[in-house]
Amino acid sequence: MATNGSAPKLVNVMIDGRPAAVGAGTNVVDAAHAAGVEIPIFCHHPKLVPVGMCRMCLVEVGTPGVDPATKAPILDDEGAPVIKYFPKLMAGCTTVVSEGMHVRTGTPAVAEAREAVLEFLLTSHPLDCPVCDKGGECPLQNLTMRYGPGRSRFVWGEKFHYPKPVPVGPLIALDRERCVLCARCIRFEDEIADDQVLGFENRGRGMEIVSFSDPPLDSVFSGNTTDVCPVGALTTADFRFESRVWELESRPAVCPHCAVGCNIGYDTRHGRVLRVMPREHDAVNEIWLCDKGRFGHGFTTAEGRLTHPLVRDISGALVATTWDDALTRVAEALKRTVAEGGPAAVGGVAGATLTNEDAYAFGRFLRAVVGTNNVDHRPKVIADDSVHRFGAGADTIVHALGAGHAIVVVGLDAEAEAPVLFLSLNKARRQGAALITLSTAPQKLDRHASHLRAVPGSEATLLAALVRAALEAEYEPVDGASVPSGALPNAAVPNAAVPSAAARVLADRLADHGPAAVHGVHPVDPDAVAQAGKALASAGGVLWIYGRSAVDAGLVPLMAAYAAATGQHGRAGTGLVAVGRHANAQGVADMGLTPDRLPGHARVDDAAARERLADVWPSLPSSEPGLDAGAMLAGGVQALYVLGTDPVGDDPALDLRANGVRTLIVQDLYLTPTAAQADIVLPAQSAAERDGTFTSLLRRVQRTYAAVDPVGHARADWKVLRDLAARYGDAESFAAPSDVFDEIARAVPAYAGLSYAALGPAIRTAPTDIFLPFAPLTEARSVSYIGTRYENRHGIGAAWLTPAEATYAAGDTAAHEAVAADGGEDAFAGYAVAADDALHAAAGDDLVLIPTAILFDAGRLVASSTVLHPLVPRPFVAFSPFDALQRGLVEGGRVRVTGAGGTFEAEVVVQDGVTPGTALAPESLGIAVRAAVGGERAGRVRVEVVAAGPIERGASPTPAPRPSSSPSTTATVTPGQI
Amino acid sequence: MPEQHIVLRHRAIPHLDRLDVYVANGGYVQLKRAVTSMTPAEVIDLVKQSGLRGRGGAGFPTGLKWSFVPAGIDKPRYVVVNNDESEPGTFKDHEITLSNPHQFIEGAAIAAYAIGARDVYIYSRGEFWDEMVHLKACIAEARAAGHLGQNLFGTDYGVEVHVTPGAGAYICGEETALLNSLEGELGQPRLKPPFPAVAGLYACPTVVNNTETLANVPQIMERGPEWYKAIGTEKSPGTKIISVSGHVARPGNYEVPLGTPFAEVLALAGGVWQGRAMKALLPAGASAPVIPAETAMGMNCDWESVAATGSILGSASFIVLDETTDMAWVAYKTVRFFQHESCGKCSPCREGTFWMKKILTRVVHGEATAADIPLLGDVVRQIDSKCFCPLGEFALSAPRSTLAQFEGDYLGHVGAPRP
Repeated sequence: MATNGSAPKLVNVMIDGRPAAVGAGTNVVDAAHAAGVEIPIFCHHPKLVPVGMCRMCLVEVGTPGVDPATKAPILDDEGAPVIKYFPKLMAGCTTVVSEGMHVRTGTPAVAEAREAVLEFLLTSHPLDCPVCDKGGECPLQNLTMRYGPGRSRFVWGEKFHYPKPVPVGPLIALDRERCVLCARCIRFEDEIADDQVLGFENRGRGMEIVSFSDPPLDSVFSGNTTDVCPVGALTTADFRFESRVWELESRPAVCPHCAVGCNIGYDTRHGRVLRVMPREHDAVNEIWLCDKGRFGHGFTTAEGRLTHPLVRDISGALVATTWDDALTRVAEALKRTVAEGGPAAVGGVAGATLTNEDAYAFGRFLRAVVGTNNVDHRPKVIADDSVHRFGAGADTIVHALGAGHAIVVVGLDAEAEAPVLFLSLNKARRQGAALITLSTAPQKLDRHASHLRAVPGSEATLLAALVRAALEAEYEPVDGASVPSGALPNAAVPNAAVPSAAARVLADRLADHGPAAVHGVHPVDPDAVAQAGKALASAGGVLWIYGRSAVDAGLVPLMAAYAAATGQHGRAGTGLVAVGRHANAQGVADMGLTPDRLPGHARVDDAAARERLADVWPSLPSSEPGLDAGAMLAGGVQALYVLGTDPVGDDPALDLRANGVRTLIVQDLYLTPTAAQADIVLPAQSAAERDGTFTSLLRRVQRTYAAVDPVGHARADWKVLRDLAARYGDAESFAAPSDVFDEIARAVPAYAGLSYAALGPAIRTAPTDIFLPFAPLTEARSVSYIGTRYENRHGIGAAWLTPAEATYAAGDTAAHEAVAADGGEDAFAGYAVAADDALHAAAGDDLVLIPTAILFDAGRLVASSTVLHPLVPRPFVAFSPFDALQRGLVEGGRVRVTGAGGTFEAEVVVQDGVTPGTALAPESLGIAVRAAVGGERAGRVRVEVVAAGPIERGASPTPAPRPSSSPSTTATVTPGQI
Repeated sequence: MPEQHIVLRHRAIPHLDRLDVYVANGGYVQLKRAVTSMTPAEVIDLVKQSGLRGRGGAGFPTGLKWSFVPAGIDKPRYVVVNNDESEPGTFKDHEITLSNPHQFIEGAAIAAYAIGARDVYIYSRGEFWDEMVHLKACIAEARAAGHLGQNLFGTDYGVEVHVTPGAGAYICGEETALLNSLEGELGQPRLKPPFPAVAGLYACPTVVNNTETLANVPQIMERGPEWYKAIGTEKSPGTKIISVSGHVARPGNYEVPLGTPFAEVLALAGGVWQGRAMKALLPAGASAPVIPAETAMGMNCDWESVAATGSILGSASFIVLDETTDMAWVAYKTVRFFQHESCGKCSPCREGTFWMKKILTRVVHGEATAADIPLLGDVVRQIDSKCFCPLGEFALSAPRSTLAQFEGDYLGHVGAPRP
């Protein structure tokens, strides 16, 4: 593995005559796997702590004999050590290898034991394989075929029976008759997800899996329990009785729901996606998937989707038309606008869910064909070039970090915004990494982290205190001996730059903003800040992972300055990671969908970049930055092209017409509120319908493949933009997304050398399940050899190197120092260590409302899933118990919240951990939370009680209604007209 | 050989459960002596010299167990008293708890001092409800009198004794399952290593001792290890309380020197009842292979001698079975017990005991076929040596030994001709 740590000591073992060298501490099952020998297992799972419950892995184990008198090894006539086998069979999963250990798995005793255990497991098994969803990919079936008895001696009528199935959670059904009580599901939730929600009840044969959380199985990772389940006991709500698994066709893809870039497979039958399964990627998602990724595939169905291009008829209604007609109208409208107002009168806003190819084609069309720099995306998390300059090392694997590393999570609720990243962080924490969270709202990660709670508006002072504390600790004389000049503790790390001068400059700048300054400002103990700083100072690597809240609070420059000045970037486990809320947040920024940046994060006036693009593009836009999304939506342009984003849906008060947009073109999956205002609506393809690449939050470029046919006449965005460009006489004629990608590789330096061929597929090297790509970009390996299906034969992608990283790799010391000095300066220039007093809640009865993220939101991607939709909560506001008491707010009551930008009503939730004086409201639950605070990250609001107590006590929560399946009343779609 | 009461001293000293009576008879003197004039290592050495072995069943040397607690671990240490007494036919700890509680409390406190523990947890069988009330009162009384608690006898050392009820699971007599239960977890055994001496209660160094074991300690301290070693046999020194039950005239606890012939123990219990002949002996409750009468009558009662018959002394709960006993029924009763008590953690025990119970139920109800008898033997072999903890293996003792030695009792149920 591309590791972030030192290699463990190797131990030599012999398994069935095959030698293997495995890390110390490896158990016999995993060692045998490495040697290419299968030891059958049920309870053991390579990602979980061994428990030795099922006894399926019993094998003969021997160690080199030692003469008790002399302590010398006993040797045979040929000088080989004599192996002494233990008298009893040993459980392979709980036996740890030792030097010279021999293991025999093929003896009659082992075969008898396997047959015995399988016969036991089958005694109460219902043998209902013909109607079991697991059938065909069931370890119990497979192992019974290989090792089990050929007949059953247990009297059928004496089998143990349960009513079946029972829901163990909203998404998971439990069949207790099939359960072999291996506890994998319990241990997954406990160890991996940190959700203590499942357990055993009763004992002996009566033991059963139960959920003791309220609501049951309260975990956003519950679907993984069905993957690790070695039998058909746990099945998913969306796939029950949908298909036999061997009739499915699985298509590799990248999950479109968040920026982690989890590798998935769309399992389809007859052109319908029936389920989503994880594909193993040891540098990204291991073998896990969150429930949004797994169950949120409703968008792949045709329900509610746009099927034809729509234009306004004479009455103003949207009617279906042909692509040729629609594109001609778009080109005419844009050309007319340019003729009247110049290229600057046209602009485009895209979403961050586009593939790189679509995003690049969008920017290319607007800049190189129309000639405008009015290009932006929303929501924008990567707004500057901090990640490009000081990004994490390309070989960073968060879940491989451990002792010696510090991870600071800033302004990000990892579980809600990038759930599988939460799993990685939790694993790093278990492996000994120091975890620090800095945020204004509580989150699950705080449980095991040093949590620094910021007051909204003053986040910058708390981050400054943390950075100052870290630098202070780094220079503080230790036991009287001053740290030698120029030798930060990080010097011990290979390739670490040692830019003490730049770090000293930064430390001095923050001299007045140390931990003591947070006293009385933030609800955090200054000592805790100092301790967290020490953890950063003593870590061999510091990784900063930040989200939208950190960007909005202006925190990125200081994180960048720290990374630059201390040389803590560009190596595994160091540097910045930006976590956007959409799948390709990093990619759309790489593709230059920002008004001041060309593809490759170059400024629009960057001479080298312009020279490079002049060879690629038909023409170049001006060297002046264009308008950002906010300015364009506010009427800064006359013709606006909106691609894959819904600004009106996020702020229903937004009226683009009233703002002065004369021509509105919207390209999307659904007839969104924005599309409803459009002149021309173009049907787009969903993630399951298109080929392309996504760039993950760790900058890994990964291919995704079309799984199903497009809905109706929906077209790939890059094709639409190509055809539009053709109407301008552009000669470039991309025939396939790979052609677009090849141009990206020429336009974006970081993508140079990448191609579809280089990004996949992978080949399987028998017999150890190790997958190697044709062109090894970074190592991948498989450790997961039991579960439903994890195979990854389609490549592992490649993470692009930052320019600084390339110089580090080349050992260019002078270059690092320059990066440290200049980079630290540049970055810090953008930082204001200021407290926003206007937001402090001290005055009056106002509270500070903080818009937060929620995983199961009311957005179209979740709402389109029939099983997830009931899990979307009603709009709510969370108050601290203190404020609830003060204001007489009762859980389930109703309040009206009024801010500078608007007002909304929502249900009251009282939540421990909320900072008194603040209130939390999840965005995207159908109420305009962010609009109410004027589009800011927080804002003062007035809270009035509408209903004091629960309105429907005892009633089950009814979520917001599902969006209707037909387009809204403002449109009349008549496909028959075509 | 008569009884010798080291632990059951209350048989001769009325009201020994009262603190004043216990103190008047040398009570808490040895704890004071240990805490004020001996080093922990000296206490451990003394117990080692006595040769005291664990009375819970395994007979592991007690002093050696104490010495396994590693030095230099900066964590609390604990002494846990296994007062769970769940083996069918065992009722010795119950009597100690009721009638001579201070002696094992003092022994536990001495053990705590020896390993550097400041807390003792007495994990008591849940059904001992009234007994626990009594025990807590005794502890409170001793503490009030300065025999327990902080700054013991004017030193910096202090020890607190806590009583925790079990919840009715046989498996919680297994020391790691006991620790899980004590922590509030599911009562299932833990993987070993780590052993409790290194990572026991709350992952801290812990010594788990049986009630009877600890009740021996104050007397060993008082009279010296040489005195103790002179009782019993060389390898099994001291006395052992034998709980005799079953088909005898006077069931009860009999404390005899280890090595006492079984015939004498049977005589103490008044012999087989109703003038019948003995058929077999279950020497360790439900967990031990049955011993045919003729073998038992020539056997001495110590670990080595019982092991020589192919069975185990265990906790020495002798269930005597007379000539009218159906040994298939005995197997059925014990298997039913183990099936009910199987914790469910490992599949051979969970599924195997369930299956054995189904077969034996058919046997005793006359519903079995001749093929069920060898099937039972197969299931026994399939469970053998594959379980996570010893409970699963114990469940095999009765069916395996009765099948081997009393197969005729089984065949009678299936109508097959006796061999």
